[in-house]
Amino acid sequence: MPIVKIDDTDFTVEKGTSVLQAALANDIEIPHYCYHPALEIVGSCRMCLVKVEGMPKLQVSCNTFVGDVPSDKKIDGKYDMVVSTQDELVQQEQKNMLEFLLLNHPLDCPVCDQAGECDLQDYAFKYGNAHSRFEEDKRVRPNEYLGSQIVINHNRCILCSRCVRFTREISGSSELFVEARGYNSKISVLEEKPLDNLLAGNVADICPVGALLSTDYIHKNRIWNLDKQPSICQDCSVGCNVDVFHQKDQILRLTPRENHSVNKFFMCDKGRYGFHRFEEIERLTVPMIMSEGGFIETTWDEAIEKTVDELNGAGKGIAGIASPFHTNEANFMLGRLVNGNVGTLPPITSEEINYPSGFRISGDRSPNRHGMNDVCPSIVDDFASAVERKDIRFLYLLDDGIDRELNELWKGMLEKIDFVVVQSYAMTDVSKCADIVLPGQAPFEREGTITNDMGRVQWLRPSVTTKGESRPDWEIPMLIQSKHAGVEGLTDVSSVMNEMGKDFAAYSDITFFRLGDQGLPLNGKAEE
Amino acid sequence: MATIVKSYEPTFWDRLYLPALAKGLAVTLKHFFRKKITIQYPDEKYVPPDGYRGLHRLNKYPDGKIRCVACEMCSAACPADCIHIIPGPSPWEDGKERFPVRFDIDLLRCIFCGFCEMACPEEAIELTEIYDFSNYTRDDLLIDKEGLLGVYELTKDTNYYSRPNAGQDSEALTSDKF
Amino acid sequence: MDFLGFVIICVKVLVVFSATMLTVLMMVYAERRVSAFMQGRLGPNRVGPQGLLQPIADGIKFLMKEDIIPAEVNKPIYLLAPAMLLIPALMTFAVIPFGSTITLFGREVPLQVADLNVGILYILALTSIGVYGLVLAGWASNSKYSLIGGLRSSAQLISYELAMGLSVVSVILLAGSLKLNVIVEDQQGYLLSWNVFKQPVAFLIFLVAVYAETNRLPFDLTEAEQELVGGYHTEYSSMKFAMFFTAEYANMVTAAALTVTLFFGGWDVPLLNETSMGALGAILSVLSFILKTAFFLFLFIWVRWTFPRFRYDQLMKLGWKVMLPLALINIFVTGGYLTLTSLR
Ligand code: SF4
Ligand code: SF4
Ligand code: SF4
Ligand code: SF4
Ligand code: FES
Repeated sequence: MPIVKIDDTDFTVEKGTSVLQAALANDIEIPHYCYHPALEIVGSCRMCLVKVEGMPKLQVSCNTFVGDVPSDKKIDGKYDMVVSTQDELVQQEQKNMLEFLLLNHPLDCPVCDQAGECDLQDYAFKYGNAHSRFEEDKRVRPNEYLGSQIVINHNRCILCSRCVRFTREISGSSELFVEARGYNSKISVLEEKPLDNLLAGNVADICPVGALLSTDYIHKNRIWNLDKQPSICQDCSVGCNVDVFHQKDQILRLTPRENHSVNKFFMCDKGRYGFHRFEEIERLTVPMIMSEGGFIETTWDEAIEKTVDELNGAGKGIAGIASPFHTNEANFMLGRLVNGNVGTLPPITSEEINYPSGFRISGDRSPNRHGMNDVCPSIVDDFASAVERKDIRFLYLLDDGIDRELNELWKGMLEKIDFVVVQSYAMTDVSKCADIVLPGQAPFEREGTITNDMGRVQWLRPSVTTKGESRPDWEIPMLIQSKHAGVEGLTDVSSVMNEMGKDFAAYSDITFFRLGDQGLPLNGKAEE
Repeated sequence: MATIVKSYEPTFWDRLYLPALAKGLAVTLKHFFRKKITIQYPDEKYVPPDGYRGLHRLNKYPDGKIRCVACEMCSAACPADCIHIIPGPSPWEDGKERFPVRFDIDLLRCIFCGFCEMACPEEAIELTEIYDFSNYTRDDLLIDKEGLLGVYELTKDTNYYSRPNAGQDSEALTSDKF
Repeated sequence: MDFLGFVIICVKVLVVFSATMLTVLMMVYAERRVSAFMQGRLGPNRVGPQGLLQPIADGIKFLMKEDIIPAEVNKPIYLLAPAMLLIPALMTFAVIPFGSTITLFGREVPLQVADLNVGILYILALTSIGVYGLVLAGWASNSKYSLIGGLRSSAQLISYELAMGLSVVSVILLAGSLKLNVIVEDQQGYLLSWNVFKQPVAFLIFLVAVYAETNRLPFDLTEAEQELVGGYHTEYSSMKFAMFFTAEYANMVTAAALTVTLFFGGWDVPLLNETSMGALGAILSVLSFILKTAFFLFLFIWVRWTFPRFRYDQLMKLGWKVMLPLALINIFVTGGYLTLTSLR
């Protein structure tokens, strides 16, 4: 394999690796704009210039590849390539490139939403001049809507064409293009074909400057005020890795997080803007009990006491409804509570979308169907007839939290069962059928593991604190079960995972520590 | 072992203490007749020196638009963490595209260091020389955007630091329109 | 005693009492003004002309304040203590002659409430009783600060009472009487016949002891704010605190008057024979007494705002190792001198 020397350090790299990739992989910074690991190389921004020994001019490192050199031609008898990123000439050129990029760039940082995570800002600070020699008037263009969610500020655009390549290569929809040439070039869309595909939000992420902006986040906050929590998107069964940006228990935006086994670099707009759903929701925060005419608030102690009483009274006639929206731990504890007598609500589906790049939006809108099936192996599809057959009198229902119309069959069934416990975070139609409602967590409050449809277990981390008196989803069935069986309760979610591993071999070596940011494939079932 | 080094051996008169006592009494008596330095506040007012850092104000352009663009540089620079800003798109068609929807300063936490005015890229926040703004409740010392603009109206004839852009209006300073 | 005599006595008591109280009020004001002046400030100058009504405002404030009695105090003693301090303080003034004699309704009226033949002893006795007020206040408050304050004051008083008494003995030796009137008359005549010139050492000892007796700086160990919060009166509030306050100032007035009487010729105006000048003489004598007392009151304040507080061990050392021997030696010298001159 070729050996390349970058600034005094030797690296052995694959043949055909670009210098920029080699450097980035080894924590050597080379400033770059147009290069994006997911996109084709164009080499247009000229920011990544480096000096390569033996070449007369500076080279763009993103488009210079390391190859095998015959042994008699090796430099110093050893290296296939010698690169300097710190050469004086390189530094001078970096300054010059930045000066070019900033010619028409406005001094907008105070009003620019990219400030704080802007490559132009960072590089200008690190490699650029402190002042500009440009005295003429800057080119000023008005902002434009490219699609319903994306605004472009042409003044800030550095024409790296990342966004254009994204729509061509990743979404395959090719809405964006560079209009005109030279001084007049600008990113544009055709009027009849605006940027309105389900991956559009990603262009705002990959734009290295603040030119492409999501209307959802524009002028909302400043990036350094937000806390970033790595987590998992819960809007479909793909389980895209995301960063949740939140402040004071309020989520402000979601951005995709790199995970090459799941979503690579991107996420879809359903998930990206999905969190808004929970802002309007009427959140349940106290246990409620049904008494003539309506729900009244009660305490946890009473609610659990009552549930356990009913559970005792029901004898063998107990069943549970697992939910593909809940974590493995919650479903597992439910299965334990009802002795594996589980069914599930009808699935919520939409059309599955596949993009040419391989990016997929699943048709199954629930994040954890795979995991639910794993930890509740005896799920019956035809739950209604099972209810008839087994004379079910006590039902514990983990609610999806999605507002949906129940069909007549389910309605009739819930009516018939003597005692229905619903664990939910919202007053959905399902919760309204309950005799007792126990408040659980909303999606971004949950902690636990979820398994995506490819069988990858991922760590779902809480981004905001649990509201009011609500309790962790796994804890409520656990409390009831331990009280009912008269055994010691489990204390934290890790011990639930531990128990789960004992019952289901596939989950036996799963711990938060091992899952980390990237998750693990289930034993023996790893795709890839 | 500690050694005692006597730098001074008191004489008989010193040990008598009486001359020293008399000297002390003389000092206080001298001050008794000196000019008093008290400033009788409500009647006489203390005039702070140039560069005094008092109550904040939020500046406006001559055409009445708020200079602040809610960039939150001030709150990032604030060591007391007492500036709270909620930004939003500005209501004006022309001019800066962003402005503070809310702008609160907790004057009780503020240490009047002036970092905020140094950090401000728009020369929007500025410390005036107003020092007598005590109040009866804590709530009254949380000053909001209206309050800060009110301070500007009170003090707009004074330039507390040299402002090269003072004369221009907001339009001349912006390059883009949203 | 006939009826007229009784009325005259009553009037004298009233005059002396109200004069003392008035002086106390003025002292409160003076203390604040003088201290402010010495510190380059102005002090209270808002209530009335030049702030002269400030003490009244203070008094009203004291009356309006909530009267707090802490839960764990020994209530009877706690309530009694301020009075036990204030009453002796006011009673002391009874034997001090504040002027020469005037003729009213055809009788000689000495300007003194009671001319006891044990005048000096009476004063020493009363000041010693006063200390009960402090000690009991400290004990009854059931607070460590108060208790320490009270204990300190008792130790301090015993130490300095001795020196004070002994320094007065030399004065008594000169006058040959315990009657204050006689002592004053003894100092009549030239300026140099004042005891301060005959007994400078005794005067110094007496002066220092008087500061210690009145608990004034530099000897206010009993209420040392930095260590004891407020000393014996930490737990007192409102009017009861005001009584302690008044007592302290009343003590100062008495002490100043006593100093004047013993060492500065009392009401004597040098080179004048007031008794032979009738009403004019009496007025002059009263004026001279007031002026001298005023000076010593000023000195009290002046000293307070000049000197820092003693440390407790320094205080004890000074009392027992310096003042007491000095006073004893002084008595021997005076006695020896008197014996020698009378033998001749
Ligand atoms: S794109 Fe970057 S450099 Fe340009 S205004 Fe925005 S933050 Fe500043
Ligand atoms: S809009 Fe952003 S991503 Fe697109 S070309 Fe301009 S700078 Fe690049
Ligand atoms: S003066 Fe200092 S402490 Fe006060 S608001 Fe400004 S930066 Fe914060
Ligand atoms: S006052 Fe200045 S620094 Fe603060 S938000 Fe406004 S423009 Fe930014
Ligand atoms: S990153 Fe290499 S030219 Fe743009």
